[in-house]
Amino acid sequence: MFNKILIANRGEIALRILRACRTMGIEAVVAYSEADRESLAVQLADEAICIGPSDARRSYLSVPAIISAAVVTGCDAIHPGYGFLSEDETFAEVVRAHDLTFIGPPPEVLDRFASKEGTRRLLGGYGLPTIPGSVGMVRDDEHALAEADRIGYPVLIKPSAGGGGKGMRMVRTPRELESSLRVCRSEAKSAFGDDSLYLEKWLDDTRHVEVQVAVDRYGHGVQFGERDCSVQRRHQKILEEGPTTALSSAARAELCERAIHAVVAAGYENVGTLEFLVDAEGKAYFIEINCRIQVEHAVTEMLTGIDLVAMQIRIAAGEPLGMTQAEVQSRGHAIEFRINAEDPAHDFRPGAGVVERYHAPGGPGIRMDSHLFPGYEVPPFYDSLLGKLVAWGPDRATAIERGRAALNELVVDGIITNVEIHKALISSETFLEGRMTTNLLDRVGSAAFLAAAARG
Amino acid sequence: MPQDRDTGQDAARAAAHAGIEHLMDTLLPSLIAKVATLNVGELEVREGDWHVRLRHPMAAGQDLERRATDRSAQRSHAGHDAVGAPAPARPQAITVAVGAVSAASNGTAPTLSPVGPGRASDGPPAREAGSGLAASHGQIATSPAVGIFQPGSAAVAGARVKAGERLGAVDMLGIPQDVVAPADGIVTSIMVEGGMAVEYGQELVGIEATAGSEAH
Repeated sequence: MFNKILIANRGEIALRILRACRTMGIEAVVAYSEADRESLAVQLADEAICIGPSDARRSYLSVPAIISAAVVTGCDAIHPGYGFLSEDETFAEVVRAHDLTFIGPPPEVLDRFASKEGTRRLLGGYGLPTIPGSVGMVRDDEHALAEADRIGYPVLIKPSAGGGGKGMRMVRTPRELESSLRVCRSEAKSAFGDDSLYLEKWLDDTRHVEVQVAVDRYGHGVQFGERDCSVQRRHQKILEEGPTTALSSAARAELCERAIHAVVAAGYENVGTLEFLVDAEGKAYFIEINCRIQVEHAVTEMLTGIDLVAMQIRIAAGEPLGMTQAEVQSRGHAIEFRINAEDPAHDFRPGAGVVERYHAPGGPGIRMDSHLFPGYEVPPFYDSLLGKLVAWGPDRATAIERGRAALNELVVDGIITNVEIHKALISSETFLEGRMTTNLLDRVGSAAFLAAAARG
Repeated sequence: MPQDRDTGQDAARAAAHAGIEHLMDTLLPSLIAKVATLNVGELEVREGDWHVRLRHPMAAGQDLERRATDRSAQRSHAGHDAVGAPAPARPQAITVAVGAVSAASNGTAPTLSPVGPGRASDGPPAREAGSGLAASHGQIATSPAVGIFQPGSAAVAGARVKAGERLGAVDMLGIPQDVVAPADGIVTSIMVEGGMAVEYGQELVGIEATAGSEAH
């Protein structure tokens, strides 16, 4: 096991990793940028080290700064959290070259799963159904047009690297495709430094269902069930729950079974998530794998009682999983609400400012993972996630009721949050009936959705 | 008559100010440098009607022993670090007291109203190389990276340096990142020993800016 871990991230996930280290008796060093000097993770850490200025490119994305910080503080492993360098195989390679361990899949595994298109082919070969799409990356506009014709419109343009909806466009005509390719290329280039794109058939009214897996170095893997992340705004998840209401319990079991079988066969290692789109008929298509801990991992932790961050650390240290599939028991229902510094009244524009008052809700089944505290100044440089409110109940209806009470109890004064959209969601018929699709908020319009909830 | 007395006081004040000015401009910078290197507790120098006493608190030296990244050490200094600057990076505080030498034959100087830095007598009564210096002539060369500090030949207390001059480097995975002087001046203190781990933005070298450089 590791002696000391460098936490190369910020916000709530830095805190989450710090807590995992504490329970495992591992020392931790929080690496922070100048903008995060007053952050909660830095305050609670036994040791913290400033790695650079607020600009993430010179701090949280700076490979030499992070590795140097790990070396000078005597760490033997680096936890990258999510985002930033969490799935960067070059970073993982450099970490290893400095005799440190990257907490995540080893570099060669990251490399094997680095390209979304390559991963679809790889896991498709191990029995996962995939969405019809372009064969390889689109070479040029002409190739893209030919492939789109073969797949059939509408098609989705997707960047090979990254996530979060950047460089992604749905197009309905060849003309739209031609004009969008240039935009997507430049978006992908600036966001991920890689402008390769591929095409995928666009499925209307899909659900987003993902399977949480963990595989140790010895090829032993288990799955921890699925999460439904269909509530999205512009390809950004805002609410996640488990189990999914999109599939029958038999279909859920089958999907999870196929997912774990495929990743073990393909040589995956460590904690990961396989994302699927589920169409209106309940047919699931594999879209991509996330080789990191995800924001919404807490949903699975509430359902199974397993500490996924600790598991990530143990696998990276070379320990066996130490559990069988039969020992994974999922109980009840859990819903995660992402509390973001976004203004629902102004097209969810991100905000910053000082948290004047903060109160985290409590009660049975409630978990709040947040780095907020009264007086905390939310810096404007990073993502807008302020925290995650997770509500668990023995059934979905109870989880919803507990979630509603917790959302009403939550106090974040001084900055505008998106809490209104969550209150609107859990009062909407579509959500209560478990019929949310990934395009619903954007199709109806988030503003119209809020207005309808206010009237209702 | 009152007029005469006033004139006499003015003349005395002018002479006193000239004396202080001399102390400040010529004597003090080299004294500060000496105290920083000698690690003596206290140094008192007399010149003419004036004396200068510099005190070097022991606590500052102990700070250096702590890890640059040790939070508990930093927390204990929370009171001093209103802006959250890492405490171990705090310069070795040198207290400077300037006062008139007493005419009394026993040689013990009565405590007079201390005179602030520079020419004006309304300045702060005493200066600490930390916040006090920064607010007046003090400049700090900070670390450009996270790594191991290697002071250069110019990083010696008392050395005259020019703005932009290399004072050393922070070795980040074998790649030296230059530590440069923020202003023309005299090196007053080396806040971190060579070979120590430093974080980004950590205060490394204190510089007493020379009067001219501030005007630019």
